[in-house]
Amino acid sequence: MIYQQLKDKNFEIVSVAQDTNGVKDAGPWITAAHPTYTVLIDEQHLVSKLYNMVNVPTGVWIDEHGKIVRPNEVAFVNNQFEDFSGLDSAPYLNALRDWIERGDKSGYVMSEERLREKLAVNDPNVILAAAEFGLGEHLYKSGHLSEAIPHFKEAQRLNPKSWNYKRQAYALSDAKRDYGTTFMDEVQKAGGSKVYYQPPDLPPEAHPKDKKP
Amino acid sequence: MTWRCSTGAFLCFLLMAGIPAQAKKIRATLLYDGQTTEIRAADEDAGQLWITTADLKRATRFELKPQGICRDELCFPLPKSRRDEFVRKSAGKSWFNLMAFAQLVHQPVAHDEALSTWYFGLRSDQRPNLSSLEAPNFTLADMEGKTHSLSDFRGKKILLITWASW
Repeated sequence: MIYQQLKDKNFEIVSVAQDTNGVKDAGPWITAAHPTYTVLIDEQHLVSKLYNMVNVPTGVWIDEHGKIVRPNEVAFVNNQFEDFSGLDSAPYLNALRDWIERGDKSGYVMSEERLREKLAVNDPNVILAAAEFGLGEHLYKSGHLSEAIPHFKEAQRLNPKSWNYKRQAYALSDAKRDYGTTFMDEVQKAGGSKVYYQPPDLPPEAHPKDKKP
Repeated sequence: MTWRCSTGAFLCFLLMAGIPAQAKKIRATLLYDGQTTEIRAADEDAGQLWITTADLKRATRFELKPQGICRDELCFPLPKSRRDEFVRKSAGKSWFNLMAFAQLVHQPVAHDEALSTWYFGLRSDQRPNLSSLEAPNFTLADMEGKTHSLSDFRGKKILLITWASW
């Protein structure tokens, strides 16, 4: 695993589960993976809210000074879901290794200008969507699923880019009954699983010798 | 006090019109900064939500002070010319309008009418400025309940990665 290879190079993985039901839903996955890096439970999807993330898995690179050097992007660290995503994790992992070795000199570190372009600005609808989602979560957790659904739908309407809002809500419901759709239906509508995940935007010149690890 | 409107709609209208706006008392559940507070007597009035300053402190830890609405070092001055939109006196108590405050501090609010529940989202002072490129900090628990902050790892390179069971 990538962490074993890199952990002695002043590197940490902070892995955060976006799961309304917390340990109940995320726990079995964590237990099965028996990770040696830090895995946190984020019932309120706080990290997605703070970083404007819209899907999982999403990775962000943060340097020694707490500065973002690569923003939100699809981040597979293994090929467990390759059949679905069509994405091989090797180019991303090679990019990560390059950054760990070379720091700021790595071609994968984005310019500040591009970072600012990529990190979304504050769209009032996106901000309101987070509140609707938060209310939906609270109502669900206090035993009011049917009252929660309109707020989950409103969150999805206000921030249609967020797969997290769709998928989390579907997972708490009978999606077909309550939302008239399913995750796989939505993926088909979006053009299929191979376009559902946008591959990481890695500059070709920066990974000349990509080999599978 | 309860008003019954069995004597005809017109008479009822006249009676209702005579009631000051603050007569519409409701129970409310407030979700504020991750904390849930039950308010036994709030006023809902044309989309505004008034609670006593005692409930304000209980639900939000904000207090009304001469310099504005404050919590610890954080203070938001209230616009003097619009003070009536934020504060009023009634029944010997001070009342504060949380919706007007939310608008003032650019805070999103979601409301469920049937369950009389209000969710107050992140105020502008709580939302990260991502264009600073500073990674927003957060504190969360691991599976054993031990809390960790992103800032604990300062000085190292970090791959922050989100995932989910669903």
